Amino acid sequence: MLVPRKVKFRKPHHPSRSGASKGGTTVNFGDFGIQALAPAYVTNRQIEAARIAMTRYVKRGGKVWINIYPDIPLTKKPAETRMGSGKGSPEWWIANVKPGRVMFEISGVTEEIATQAMTRAMHKLPMKCRIVRREEA
Amino acid sequence: MAEIKIAAKVRSEFGKGAARRARRDGLVPAVIYGHGEKPIHIALPAREVGIALKTSNVLLDIDLGSQVELTLPKSVVRDPLKGTLEHIDLILVRRGERVVVSVPVHTFGKYDQDGILEHVHNAIEVEVEATSIPSHLELDMEGLVAGDSLYASNVKLPEGVALISDPKMIVVHLSVRAAAEEVVAAPAAEGAAAAPAASGDAAGDAAAKS
Repeated sequence: MLVPRKVKFRKPHHPSRSGASKGGTTVNFGDFGIQALAPAYVTNRQIEAARIAMTRYVKRGGKVWINIYPDIPLTKKPAETRMGSGKGSPEWWIANVKPGRVMFEISGVTEEIATQAMTRAMHKLPMKCRIVRREEA
Repeated sequence: MAEIKIAAKVRSEFGKGAARRARRDGLVPAVIYGHGEKPIHIALPAREVGIALKTSNVLLDIDLGSQVELTLPKSVVRDPLKGTLEHIDLILVRRGERVVVSVPVHTFGKYDQDGILEHVHNAIEVEVEATSIPSHLELDMEGLVAGDSLYASNVKLPEGVALISDPKMIVVHLSVRAAAEEVVAAPAAEGAAAAPAASGDAAGDAAAKS
């Protein structure tokens, strides 16, 4: 599971979910990619589930890139707790994904296999996505 | 390479308001510069330019009414979600001038199917006369075995084309599939555990890069 070794602040504010992705909107490493169409917090568990769904489908063929990293902790107060008494404890690690971001890339497989693998991965992600292909230089 | 002639309007109003009005009217704001000349701000028909830009390094003959400028697209800004053209930078070129451009590499030939083909670089930089830029370059992968790479120096260059990229730059790499023999020999549980771990490392490296 992707978790940072250390962070500067243990309990940061929730990151902004407005606007579109400023970079990483094209397929750079592989041949096909999964592009986010809506903003969402993607947890490290979701990233891992998507990666496993893809790698299991392509078996030993192909190579998968993960372009996002869950480096922001989110906190949660325990159930049935009165308000106050400080901020809750870190519960999730999330990547703040904005529309347009290419989150996963794949190469070394045919288009049909890549599409099938990425469709399976998209079911594990919390937002609407689409499959994009690399543009020629 | 074929030249595409496109009629353009010289822009008289600037800023995001004017640019958005132009886009609503089916135009794309663009700028022409180069050769130390004053930049020319123009608006191009979005549909025609969109079709022309499907070809890499397409030569555009921009008809400004009083003059015709030969240009090459230098930078194209697209909306990341809609894919519509937002702005285009065009660089002035002269006939007979040699320019440095990035040309896509297409591969052909049978290679070892046991390896995983990886296109490390999809395009290489070459110096070529502006009016004879090849649409793509070819790389023969015949007989490539797993673990081997092909370099920029292996790309077949047509006459008049000089390589600018590092000749030792890897273009195609055929990586060995993760421990094929071990998976067959080892019990099923171990094999299943080894595969995600290997791919996890690769993914972790990629994430660190980005």
